[in-house]
Amino acid sequence: MDPIFNEAAIKIQNSSLLEYKEKGGRVIGYVCSHVPEEVIAAADMLPFRLRGIEIKSTAIGDSYFGPFLCSCPKALLQNAGEGRFSFLDGAIMVQACDSMRRLDECWRKAGKDFPGSLPDFFHYFAVPHKVTDYSVQFFAEEIEKLAKAIEGHFKVSITEQKLDEAIETYNTTRDLLVQLEALRHRDSPPLTGSEAMAIVLAGTAMPKSDYNKLLEATIEDLKKQRAKTHAGKPRILLAGSVVDDLTLIDAIEAEGAVVVADTVCFGARAYAGHVEKGGSRWETLARRYLNEQFCPRMFGYSNERYELILQKFKDSKADGIVFQNIRFCDLHGSENGLFNKRLDKAGIPNTRIEREYGELADEGRVRMRINAFLETLGRGKSAA
Amino acid sequence: MRQELTEYDFIWSVNNLLSTAAKTAKGTPKEYKALLKRIPHFSDLIDSMIGLGEPGVVFLESFAEYTDMILTAKAQGKKTCFTTFCQSPVILHAMGVVPLVLEVLTVAGTLIRKSAIGEFMDYCLEAGFTETSCSSQRGSMGAYLAGLAEKPDFVLIDTPGICDTNANSFAFAAAHFDIPFYQLNYPPTIDDERAIEYHRKDFKHMISFLEEQTGKKLNVERLREIMLEMQRQDEMVCELQDLQRLIPNPVPGIYNLFIYAIRFTLAGLPACTRMIEVMLKKAKENAKANRAGTSSGKEEKRALFVYIDHYSANLPLFNFLDQHNISHLGGILDRYYQDDAFYKGSTSYKTETQTLDAMIDSLARQNAHLPMVKQIRGPYDSPEMWLEEIKRLAEMLNPDMTIYSGTPGCRNTWGMVKLLVNDLEKTGYPTHIINSDAFDDRVESWEATAHRLQEFLDLRGFN
Repeated sequence: MDPIFNEAAIKIQNSSLLEYKEKGGRVIGYVCSHVPEEVIAAADMLPFRLRGIEIKSTAIGDSYFGPFLCSCPKALLQNAGEGRFSFLDGAIMVQACDSMRRLDECWRKAGKDFPGSLPDFFHYFAVPHKVTDYSVQFFAEEIEKLAKAIEGHFKVSITEQKLDEAIETYNTTRDLLVQLEALRHRDSPPLTGSEAMAIVLAGTAMPKSDYNKLLEATIEDLKKQRAKTHAGKPRILLAGSVVDDLTLIDAIEAEGAVVVADTVCFGARAYAGHVEKGGSRWETLARRYLNEQFCPRMFGYSNERYELILQKFKDSKADGIVFQNIRFCDLHGSENGLFNKRLDKAGIPNTRIEREYGELADEGRVRMRINAFLETLGRGKSAA
Repeated sequence: MRQELTEYDFIWSVNNLLSTAAKTAKGTPKEYKALLKRIPHFSDLIDSMIGLGEPGVVFLESFAEYTDMILTAKAQGKKTCFTTFCQSPVILHAMGVVPLVLEVLTVAGTLIRKSAIGEFMDYCLEAGFTETSCSSQRGSMGAYLAGLAEKPDFVLIDTPGICDTNANSFAFAAAHFDIPFYQLNYPPTIDDERAIEYHRKDFKHMISFLEEQTGKKLNVERLREIMLEMQRQDEMVCELQDLQRLIPNPVPGIYNLFIYAIRFTLAGLPACTRMIEVMLKKAKENAKANRAGTSSGKEEKRALFVYIDHYSANLPLFNFLDQHNISHLGGILDRYYQDDAFYKGSTSYKTETQTLDAMIDSLARQNAHLPMVKQIRGPYDSPEMWLEEIKRLAEMLNPDMTIYSGTPGCRNTWGMVKLLVNDLEKTGYPTHIINSDAFDDRVESWEATAHRLQEFLDLRGFN
């Protein structure tokens, strides 16, 4: 596996990004799976998914946000204040969930206290909470508005041809990541969940043209691999709140399991579905990105998300499901509760864990919970 | 859950207590005093309500009427739906649907069932819900989830895009009960053409949903009748709120709670009209006599609540303000943006009843201006959002202080309240954040909350 995957997964200012910047490339950060990266790519810029990794405290975040908030946007603000996002030429704020939507105001205010931390281009992007003909239409207009804002600010032109090229490139990435996931479904997965997540994360933090080539080569290598390294380990499907660092998956795998699939933000949501070709580009993008299965912020679609989890569970031949939610993420926390009860009735082993965002301040507790869960499967380290 | 809490239907308990309490006013003073001794848990509350005179009694009667509607809905062939405090019930009444407004029912629970509502909140966790979710729904929702009230037929809300924890509670309930769910969804702007068109389409879609659920077509004449009644109510609410600008403010603080409790359950119905009439009458009498709405008739300070109030048993926040001769100038829950509202700024709604399309547009526009739906849908410092509204209200109401009270579950306001407070302080308004849970005094006891509030008053020189 190319070392850039791991580097990009654990370091915000990774070498691929820095190289891109050195060549004069421009970067726009974004905070949610509902942002159509193709629009940014069609403006010849790099869409970069913002993460809160590498921080040692949330002191800056805590100064602007209130106390009863998810630690994810606080960690993002911390990174902004500490200058780790200094390479950004722009950022797109989204009313993704109530914690994340307020990053808009908090970052703007922090920008005054930490000069240089706020990119010049700072755009608020609205995403409807339902899928209907008129909400898709609204969202398509919102995407077009975003494109116009980028064009106006950066004096660039987002043409249909550029959009088509970007759609093609991003669809290729999705196809490749689906192939990667299929490899994880093998009886003997050729890579760990942590390695797989590193590959997926890298895709959000480096140019796609380079990434696709590396990913294709990696998949070819993995296809040839026949070692039974992870055969026989308890197989876990990971679901729930955003996971953008490797430590949670590392903690699960350190207890003797292997994570074979997920439905989390940054994970499988990054490559679910295709953007159709032809027609109004704004509408085809809107149809792919206004996906009710992405996140419980899309209210009233829990059955659809439950079905997705069941399908993933079946396809990946998982032994159990680990539901996790970041504290104060009620959207995932309560849906995890619903699914937990339904799956219990269906006889599918699963567990619920609440945690903090980031590099696992409470690793010991999480590992103990995982260990106990694996024991119930009769497959854990201590059960062996 | 304690056995004693599972023996009676939750709504029946509320109804029984409030309707009985309303009748006590008809007894002789001797009978009344004797009765209070026999209901030690509720005597303070009932005494406070009866002590308010006609408005207190009418409130008890009105709320009893509302809960009676819930209890008799099925027998009358009506559907019931879970809905939220910032959704106008007008369309529901017109369709013959009884709204189960969870937040208002939670407040009723905190008032009459000391400590019990906490157990209902906790029951939600047993059903899989998160403890960090907003307590305003968890209280009464817990009673429903535990089977202590009759299961609703469907869910209809208007908080997606406004408040995740609110919308999420209702989505959870719909999934738990496996009943139909409809959401009115709001974009982050309020008055541009795209937002208006979205509101309109969404509202029409909602009417189709209601027709499907009830099996009846919308009765246009009935809707018009209810809207005209609501228009009358709106005019009186505007008049009442206009009086709050007087110094001293002649409107008793508790009326703010009465206005929204009645507005979100009975708007468009005669019981709501009667309630507003008696409040307006009393406030006008106070104004004529140059009396404040406090029990003493004096006003020493004026407080503008920028969000909601605090609803522990016996309504201690309102008593605290009253004892300190502090006029309550209203909060977010009392702002509806009628065209006659003194605070309306650049956006408002008018009640139009000429045609069905005009009625639908008018209702969609009204709904888009209701509490929270208007103020916290976009960045707090965008035009017509929270900050601009509070500054405008403050200029017009002359508060000495502004106060934020909410719940830890309110992710949306806690995400920006520090910024808001800084801005208000810079503008010259001393501002206090109440850190407790407005619906659950197990999070912070009222005594601790009162201590901090007193400290704020002392430190800022208000005593």
